[in-house]
Amino acid sequence: MELSLIIQREYFERVRRKSFIITTILMPVIMIAMMAFPAVISILSGPEKKTIAVVDPSGIVGNALPAHGELSFAPVEMSVEEAKADNNYDGVLVIGENLVSDDTDVSLYTREAVSLATEESISGELSRIVEQKRLQRYDIENLDQIIAAVQSHVRMQTFTLGDDGEKETSSAISYMIGIVMMMILYMFILMYGQMVMTSIIEEKANRVLEVVVSSVKPYTLLMGKLLGIGCVALTQILIWAFIILAFTMWGLPAILSSATDMDSATLSLVLGIGNPAYIMKLFGCMTLFLVGGYLFYSSIYAAIGSSVDNIQDASQLTSFATMPIIIGLLLAFTVVNDPTSQLAFWTSVIPFTSPMVMMSRMPFGVAGWEIALSAVLLFVSVLFMIWLSAKIYRIGIFMYGKKPNIKDLVRWAKYK
Amino acid sequence: MSYLLEANGIVKDYTGHKALDDVTVHVPEGSVYGLLGPNGAGKTTLIRIINHITAPDAGEVIFDGRPLTADDVKHIGYLPEERGLYKKMKVGEQAIFFARLKGLDKRDAEKRLKEWFERMEIGNWWNKKVEELSKGMAQKVQFIITVLHRPKLLIFDEPFSGFDPINANILKREILRLRDEGSTVIFSTHNMSSVEELCDHITLINRSRNILTGNVEELRRSFGGNRFRLRFEGELSSLAEAIKPVVSYIGEDEEENRGQGESVIVELSDAATRRDLVDIANRATDLVGFEPVMPSINNIFINAVRNSSEMPVENK
Repeated sequence: MELSLIIQREYFERVRRKSFIITTILMPVIMIAMMAFPAVISILSGPEKKTIAVVDPSGIVGNALPAHGELSFAPVEMSVEEAKADNNYDGVLVIGENLVSDDTDVSLYTREAVSLATEESISGELSRIVEQKRLQRYDIENLDQIIAAVQSHVRMQTFTLGDDGEKETSSAISYMIGIVMMMILYMFILMYGQMVMTSIIEEKANRVLEVVVSSVKPYTLLMGKLLGIGCVALTQILIWAFIILAFTMWGLPAILSSATDMDSATLSLVLGIGNPAYIMKLFGCMTLFLVGGYLFYSSIYAAIGSSVDNIQDASQLTSFATMPIIIGLLLAFTVVNDPTSQLAFWTSVIPFTSPMVMMSRMPFGVAGWEIALSAVLLFVSVLFMIWLSAKIYRIGIFMYGKKPNIKDLVRWAKYK
Repeated sequence: MSYLLEANGIVKDYTGHKALDDVTVHVPEGSVYGLLGPNGAGKTTLIRIINHITAPDAGEVIFDGRPLTADDVKHIGYLPEERGLYKKMKVGEQAIFFARLKGLDKRDAEKRLKEWFERMEIGNWWNKKVEELSKGMAQKVQFIITVLHRPKLLIFDEPFSGFDPINANILKREILRLRDEGSTVIFSTHNMSSVEELCDHITLINRSRNILTGNVEELRRSFGGNRFRLRFEGELSSLAEAIKPVVSYIGEDEEENRGQGESVIVELSDAATRRDLVDIANRATDLVGFEPVMPSINNIFINAVRNSSEMPVENK
């Protein structure tokens, strides 16, 4: 009864704030906008065209260079110097007479730096033309048909072997999702953990705390605060999940169908990720570890908040909570490159790092028993941490004046 | 006499510092009980123990005939010395929150609050945020929050600090009215004039111990039992010379002299009687007045603290 009153107060005080409403609605809109921005831009404006003059006195290449993306090629009857001086062209490709026998007899001059991809694709096209010319020297019959039949374009699909059969995945996309999820988790734990700390310091500083603990036990107040602010975090993540889900179900297909230059293989993969069931599963796991990680760290933040008089005094002690979170994030960045390693396993069972690390592994698929083990260990540690925090809290909230250090906290925790 | 609250032999030890050392307090039902003492004497620690916020290391607290439990805090209203409210919350909403914490239901809380807001002349503050109120205004709200659930025991820690005289009088009136309606009040302060106006009983705590306990009137009488004001016409020096054998103290009268003649304060020595004093004084001068002097609680307080501080105190 009292607990639910405190939870309600903590919850509504924050959820009703304008800043909460704005960030909750704006963040996913910004995220979606960032995702959709390149596609929308390409639909609206189309790429900027660049024309390269091809100086080819011996006619080896001729018209054979196809336009590539924003680049198009124009064979010209000019000298190299004339072509370089002509502002109608963004660059000059000079084909030497001996290109067929000498691979290096070709140069590209451009006004702006050329991307590596463009350079590779031009030399790829040239290689193809040169190879064709060289083959023609052997006078093979039906050469064109043979070449057409031989040409291939390999695209690899990757699968993960799991309990529920083979699933099509793409490690690049899993990697991205892993990083996004662990960043969200990191942000939430840090943001909401510090919110718990600040709000306890505030209550202590303006002395409302003493009024509240004359009605309810300090433990109830602490739990009410942890749970109330936790509900705010959950509300936010659920609203985000809903917005992203709605976007992938209705918004994404619409955008993708109008984005013409995305090839069909990538399209089907993105649509596979946009599968609502998959997103729901990821969000489910994320919520589990978010709640665990939040409770674990925010109870540390609560103990720190209860022991100091103002935010400035807290900075030193805060590192005891902030450092492990950052270490967890760094480890998660390592683990995401090799999600099945020993490091990945061990950092997933240590509660200090497990929330972030598990998030980075989740999109690659993690065995059910590992998720269960990690979650159970995390929640058992949560109970211990809350118990410890409550012991410090109950003493700390009445301590004014002296700036405490970690030794004081340990001593308070030992009081009967 | 039946006691609403008995705290017997309370000891509270913080590492290296005894906050309370065998402190006993018996609060009669329906009285205003003054908990006096200099800063740092241990009053707040005792109040926190009564409020079940901290536990004593030794001793017991009996509330309404039974040992104090966590549920009893529902029947206690506590106004701490350092007060605070949630700044961002609206006054009415906040008052309802605290009332519900004490177990009132929402509708009941709202009805009582409206009455109290009218009585304290703050009816139009309901939708104001606390941060918009002045300090004194916030104190009024806090007072209402403390008493709203009609607790059996009210504990006020320095309730008048921060109030102007007009509002302090409203507060005094309300405290006495609450007592008359059956509440018992513990009143912690070092403002002695308010003690004389309000308290029926007091205990004085200094250096973690009770040094003086009792009914206010009885204390004043017992402490003033041997002091008298003599009013006379004549020479002070001849009077002083004459009464020297029967008094142990002669001093100036600090009060403004409103009566006839000169006045002087004397303390009767143990062997002499009042009749001796009057006879001798009357012979030496022309005695026009003779009355016992009641010391103010302020004087009792200062003397008692001074005396107890001179005694060796076992600390640590």
